[in-house]
Amino acid sequence: MLQSTLMNLSMNRPKWVFIGVLLLTALAGFQIPSIQVDTDPENMLPHDNPARVFHDEVKQRFGLHDMIVVGVVNNSEQGVFNRESLSELKQLSDSIVHMEGVVSQDMMSLDRVDNISQEGPGTIRFEWMMKQVPQDQAGIDLIRESVERLPLLNNTLVSGDGEAAGIYIPITKKSESYRISGEIQAEIEKLSGNNQYYISGLPVAEDTFGVEMFIQMAISAPLAGLMIFILMWVFFRSFLLITAPMLVAMGSVIITMGLLIGQGYTVHIMSSMIPIFLMPIAVVDSVHILSEFADRYRPGDDPKKALSEVLTHLFTPMLFTSVTSAVGFASLAFTPIPPVQIFGLHVAFGIMLAFLLTIILVPAYIVSLSSKRMAQLQNHSIEEDDSSFLGRLLIFTGRFSIARAKTLLVVFTLIVVGSAYGVAQIQINDNPVRWFKPDHPLRVADRVMNHHFPGTYNAFLVLDKTGDLKNGLDQQLVFRASQAGVALQQTLTSVENESFTEYTNALINEFDQLSYDDTANEDLWLELLDLTEKAQVDSKYFLTPQAITYLDELQSYLDSSEYIGKSNGLPTLLKTVYRELQGGEAEYYRLPPSATAAAQTVLSFQGSHRPDDLWHMVTPDYRSTTLWLQLSSGDNQDMSQVLTLVDEYVKAHPLPEGVELNWAGLTYINVVWQDEMVNGMLNSLMGAFVMVLVMMMLLFRSVKIGLLSMLPLTVTILFIYGLIGLVGKDYDMPIAVLSALTLGLSVDFAIHFLERTRAIYRECGDWEQTVAEVYKGPSRAISRNAVVIAIGFTPLLFAPLVPYITVGFFLATIMAVSAAVTVMLLPAVMQLISNKDALFGVKPGLKEMHHD
Amino acid sequence: MIKQLISILSITLTMVFTTPVWAEDLTDVETIINQATLAAYYRGEDGRSEARMLIEDAQGRKQQRQFTILRRDHEDGGDQQFLVAFSRPADVRDTVFLVEKHAKTDDDRWLYLPGLDLVKRISAGDKRTSFVGSNYFYEDVSGRNPDEDNHQLIETTEEHYLVENTPKDANSVEFGRYQVWIEKISMLPVKIEYYDSSDKLYRRVEVLATEDVQGIPTVTKSRVSDLISGASTTMEFRFIRYDLGMESSVFTERSLRNPPRQWLKRPQPL
Repeated sequence: MLQSTLMNLSMNRPKWVFIGVLLLTALAGFQIPSIQVDTDPENMLPHDNPARVFHDEVKQRFGLHDMIVVGVVNNSEQGVFNRESLSELKQLSDSIVHMEGVVSQDMMSLDRVDNISQEGPGTIRFEWMMKQVPQDQAGIDLIRESVERLPLLNNTLVSGDGEAAGIYIPITKKSESYRISGEIQAEIEKLSGNNQYYISGLPVAEDTFGVEMFIQMAISAPLAGLMIFILMWVFFRSFLLITAPMLVAMGSVIITMGLLIGQGYTVHIMSSMIPIFLMPIAVVDSVHILSEFADRYRPGDDPKKALSEVLTHLFTPMLFTSVTSAVGFASLAFTPIPPVQIFGLHVAFGIMLAFLLTIILVPAYIVSLSSKRMAQLQNHSIEEDDSSFLGRLLIFTGRFSIARAKTLLVVFTLIVVGSAYGVAQIQINDNPVRWFKPDHPLRVADRVMNHHFPGTYNAFLVLDKTGDLKNGLDQQLVFRASQAGVALQQTLTSVENESFTEYTNALINEFDQLSYDDTANEDLWLELLDLTEKAQVDSKYFLTPQAITYLDELQSYLDSSEYIGKSNGLPTLLKTVYRELQGGEAEYYRLPPSATAAAQTVLSFQGSHRPDDLWHMVTPDYRSTTLWLQLSSGDNQDMSQVLTLVDEYVKAHPLPEGVELNWAGLTYINVVWQDEMVNGMLNSLMGAFVMVLVMMMLLFRSVKIGLLSMLPLTVTILFIYGLIGLVGKDYDMPIAVLSALTLGLSVDFAIHFLERTRAIYRECGDWEQTVAEVYKGPSRAISRNAVVIAIGFTPLLFAPLVPYITVGFFLATIMAVSAAVTVMLLPAVMQLISNKDALFGVKPGLKEMHHD
Repeated sequence: MIKQLISILSITLTMVFTTPVWAEDLTDVETIINQATLAAYYRGEDGRSEARMLIEDAQGRKQQRQFTILRRDHEDGGDQQFLVAFSRPADVRDTVFLVEKHAKTDDDRWLYLPGLDLVKRISAGDKRTSFVGSNYFYEDVSGRNPDEDNHQLIETTEEHYLVENTPKDANSVEFGRYQVWIEKISMLPVKIEYYDSSDKLYRRVEVLATEDVQGIPTVTKSRVSDLISGASTTMEFRFIRYDLGMESSVFTERSLRNPPRQWLKRPQPL
């Protein structure tokens, strides 16, 4: 029904079809300029993902920003501690601080932080660490000594070996980091070159990735188009023939991308590969139509007649291969990673669109050809000689598969077992910095910086003290007031505030004023004042010895781990300031003995130039605190190890009552979305498998053949992932995405192979002969399609970014392997099934499904 | 009717005569600055006031500090003594700052922390550090020595003198220059705006309310705004008294551990 409507439309109204497709393409094409690239790995999680919400909230609460880290390295004997190096550092820092988008007050660099030191007995001194670069070496050495005395700065601002200094540049928006790092680079080039400079930090990596992604899309996608064009030229040697598939491919790509952008979706790393995925898939069906048409059409015939024969014959298999491919991609919607979902659904749409365009555009194209051109078409039959290399190879393969069926099965079983072992070895790991090639300046900076410093990757361990404070205090106050015959509720309600600190502050002011104004009840008001003040002091949980001791011990445990370069937190600050207050001797590097001592230690610190640094470690109500962990590796695996370490510690040393522990930081977020993806991918894969299986059973109206058709792709997927596990390639984002779509692509081969095998068997009724036939025509078509798709992906190998290379390499491999498995394994298995009549449903009078 | 006319007339007259419209404008910038310094920091021979500080960060979170300031002048425009005793939050209660401010040499500063039972001398060093975590600097509380800047009168308006100040030693401060609006009538600096080395306005100190206390125009509410981060601190002064007759001995190290309750407690209403 649908089929005939479409065919009539395309053959009788070719102009309408052209105009319609052109309009649609133009409409979609106009959307493309408003493209917005999104490279933020945080967006791998939906905005409302709890981990992400918490991460954002932590950034807000603690005033944390994404950071660019500039490394200043000098490998000479004195390291960076020489006048020239430090002058350059200061010059650079002075220019960075004025840059737009830099959170200047939180920037950290030797010339922007405070030194706390002893100035003679009993005197403490707060001063800029390096307001000016000292004229003499003695002054410079003093800076080095000072930094080494301050645990918050040592190994953060200057590396332990003294060879590297860091400038930590918080930025207001991550999406600005490419621009800002460019400006920093320009400033670096103005310096006299006494040091080497390295710009690193996740935000730069992410933003730079976006820019390079554009480059890759502008180069790789057209290159893939060219590649397919050349490949088809090799196969068909006719521009006339190739034009139609290329039109289908371009139309599908432009409309799909236009749709994606027009809906307001950002183009993420996955979506940027849509053109490259669509192009090879889109051309395959057109090739089928064209080559069969070329076979059937004889000059002088009515092209419409031949065309409708071809279309009637190919419609169902083409529909099914398109639907299975689309299902494979659409199954990515089961993965809770928005960019992956958008990618999957749009490629699925693109595949179905390509099918539709093939059905209407290609016939319209053919009927619009002049009879002279039509005649040319006929000269370009795609049928190859059996004596070609491919032909001979396939015939040999066929004979071999049948003759050595048992051996082959044993070999495949072994491969499956080996692969299963390999799958068990898979290392799940990812690291956005590794998305760049090893020689990329960012990777170099990453290596150098993490060599000198304890780590440039950040994770934040957040501890929150929970519990209701207000009700208890209110009850106490109301009860005490009622004893004195005073109704208090109205006063309490009038100063209602979400923040307990602000609520108690308002109450304190109120009671203070009342004690002054209402002399009759002075004692009551002073008592309520005391109660409120006590409640307020008690609420400052992370000043109490119990809480900070727990934190401190957790910190020393973490610092002893090889995965954690360094940790900074409230205990570090308290111990440092406490030591300096007590005279600066190392033995006093310990926690203040009481909550009031801690509060007053904090107050002393607040007399410095940067009192607000405190609020990056603890909230002003002292009920949330964060430990900043510097990790030298951004690998998810290493971050996962850190998570395990902390879990184990908390198991052995339970958190104090009412304290909750959570994680934030980009390195942690990466682990979260990776976990979601691994689990989600499994769902996608299972979902796609079941759906494709059901479709196969429906298509072949046979459970056995349905199951058989799933065999090659199952072996292929197992083999590929087994291989990944065995060679130790990390299972990362691109690898994960491959699984579901492999399924959709490689089942096509099985469909064609089984469909043709059954048709031939039903015609001739002889297995030997069927095999011989199958290895002439259908196997060649399968192989050729595999080659088209595989080679179509190869431009990805030249991409500047690793994920593209990975996808390109593995897709090409998957195509090759699944084609090989299809043509070798299926006949061998069928050979061993004794009742072939039952298998192929040969019963007298049964109508065949398809003819060839 | 006539009564009303008379009252209107008298109000008008009062306004005319109390506004020093006929007063000669000052033209010498040193005189202006010296008078402003005296008006702002040397009111009476001594004084006390209770300050309530509201620190509001960029996210709108508020913290409060409350302390009493005692001050005694050795001579107007010269050396002074300060004692700052904290009363709130309760966990820093009885923390005391003691400052011997010297016009010609560095100040002497002491800090007493009761929770640690510790008296600490604080190096004079830099006075442009935060005052107890607020947006005020020590120097905003005790007064910046006028000799440290070059002054230039750039505008005289109906109500204000506008003076431009540039530091003599640019390396000793974080600002490039600052402008002060001095109210002619009270000679109080009512607005100060700081510009950084790239001449970007980044900090503002402003007077929000003044009151006449014992015949002396007195700032009762002021605010410092950090225009970069968006944080600000508002300070309110209450229970202000001048010329209490405090002895120099009130301002000795002994007072750190034993705060002078006599002067710290609230005075009876006048």
